[in-house]
Amino acid sequence: MSELTFPGHTAPDKTASALPATGTLLLSQIRYQMLLLMRSPRGMLFSLVIPVLLLVLSSSRRHPDPQLEAALVAGLAAFGLIVTAYISHAIGLVTGRQDGVLRRWRATPLPTWCFFAGRIVATVLTALASVAIAVAVGTAIYHVHLTGGIALSLLVIFLLGALAWAAIGTAVTALVPTAQSAGPVLMVTYLPVILFSGGLGSVSAEPGWLATVARYLPAEPIISSATRALTHTGPGLSLISGRDLAVLAAWAVGGVLASAVFFRWDPVRPRHAPSR
Amino acid sequence: MTATSIAIEVEHLVKRFGSFAAVEDVSFDVPAGQVAAVLGPNGAGKTTTIEVLEGFLAPSSGIVRVLGADPRQGGRAGRARKARVGLVLQTTSLDLQLTVAEAITLYAGLFPRPMAPAEVIEMIDLVGDAQTRIGALSGGQRRRVDLGLGIIGRPEILFLDEPTTGLDPEARRELWAVIQSLVAGGTTVLLTTHYIEEAQRLADRVIVLDEGRVVADATPDQLRARGGTPVIRYHLPPGVGAGDLPAVLAGHVDPVRNELLLPSPDLTADLDALVGWARRYRADLTGLEVTPPSLEDAYLSLTSEAPCLS
Repeated sequence: MSELTFPGHTAPDKTASALPATGTLLLSQIRYQMLLLMRSPRGMLFSLVIPVLLLVLSSSRRHPDPQLEAALVAGLAAFGLIVTAYISHAIGLVTGRQDGVLRRWRATPLPTWCFFAGRIVATVLTALASVAIAVAVGTAIYHVHLTGGIALSLLVIFLLGALAWAAIGTAVTALVPTAQSAGPVLMVTYLPVILFSGGLGSVSAEPGWLATVARYLPAEPIISSATRALTHTGPGLSLISGRDLAVLAAWAVGGVLASAVFFRWDPVRPRHAPSR
Repeated sequence: MTATSIAIEVEHLVKRFGSFAAVEDVSFDVPAGQVAAVLGPNGAGKTTTIEVLEGFLAPSSGIVRVLGADPRQGGRAGRARKARVGLVLQTTSLDLQLTVAEAITLYAGLFPRPMAPAEVIEMIDLVGDAQTRIGALSGGQRRRVDLGLGIIGRPEILFLDEPTTGLDPEARRELWAVIQSLVAGGTTVLLTTHYIEEAQRLADRVIVLDEGRVVADATPDQLRARGGTPVIRYHLPPGVGAGDLPAVLAGHVDPVRNELLLPSPDLTADLDALVGWARRYRADLTGLEVTPPSLEDAYLSLTSEAPCLS
């Protein structure tokens, strides 16, 4: 085929035909995905506003035990993080799949890994922003103090937690047929986990076996490690439980592997009425 | 690629979903620079064929090549090939939260030699709405954004899957104008459509599918000549009724409009009968019309009777 020409354009330079650098593509994807997340009012409400609101409302019944206050701040910070990294992320993917946006991306020269990396980095950054706001409000209201070491420990815990939940959210989209069903399916899968993990306050009379199960789910390790960090009083980094990190890492790896196998770019075709 | 090379090759394509064969033994080539329209009723296999060509579906059997390669080719070579292909999907596929300018600029960054975003926005006639979020645009405007994203990378091949379905006539004509300007630049276009007028306006060639098979593959003129029938129209003078006409014509009079409307496979014989009658009755033939066969007539005869004319 002869080189294309468009009105007002000269034939392009052959040396310019190289594909754009992947670093540039990745940065562009991160910016794009952050724009989508920031312009999702429902997602922003649940991840940024609700945790802060709950923290403020809970301040009227302040508890003398700093451990319980730290657990409240850690739990609500984890709640905001999970809403962003799991719910908003997965709903965004399902909606994009249903609207044909994923299909369009798949047809472009963008590498697949770049699409997912951009999306997950943007999700993690937004989730960490929600955590930062919740922790900042928590330190202002409660007997929780923040040092550089504690902040670094929290960063490690919440970063790994956000990665784990984003990976699980990506995989779970395979179970969600439509954008309309995304909300209920995601709520059913995350709400019990966050409740039994103490994300919305400690659960009294929780059976021992349930507490044990919760320790191997991806919310409780975030909350317990973050609570320990927020109550750390010595200098330097607070110790993060190796078991908590291992549980979160396992969920992250499992989510990535499940996504690689089960992720769908297109909506399910109806079996009874195939489209020609 | 030379000016005479083949941009799209389809050889004995079969695509099954379970036991259901959506496409059965479809073959055609599209030379570079040609505009080919794939026509057919719902369920004919148009969308499945184009989705195989776009790389979204794997063929059950047969060979498909786009720009000389498998459309599902991966790796860097696959990315380089995708950079030369543009597409407009059957339904709008846009992030409603982005503005027109943001979406066009974002996609421009994916290609090695994109058009200037401002130029594309001007081509799709959305300069005044460049900073408007896509979610606030009308259906026709969104479809133009779809087209803008499809052409931003200066594609050598553009796939258009029912690009104007659901648009009003004015929006349809505006989209046609954009497509025609691309075609003038040498872009190969494969479009599926329900609209005969669209195929007639845009295509050098029409491929008619019915029940998953090619039933015709010809230029619009050839297709009209093959499958259509000219029509004789004549408004009968006052005081003349169907009973006054020869038997061969009388059965084709619309009694409400008192008009002869005769699809005529043998134009010479039918006109001879009408002119002979007019001479005998001294009837005035002013207003007599012979309309050529339409592409729509040809298409309908093909898809209802399904003769293989290719």
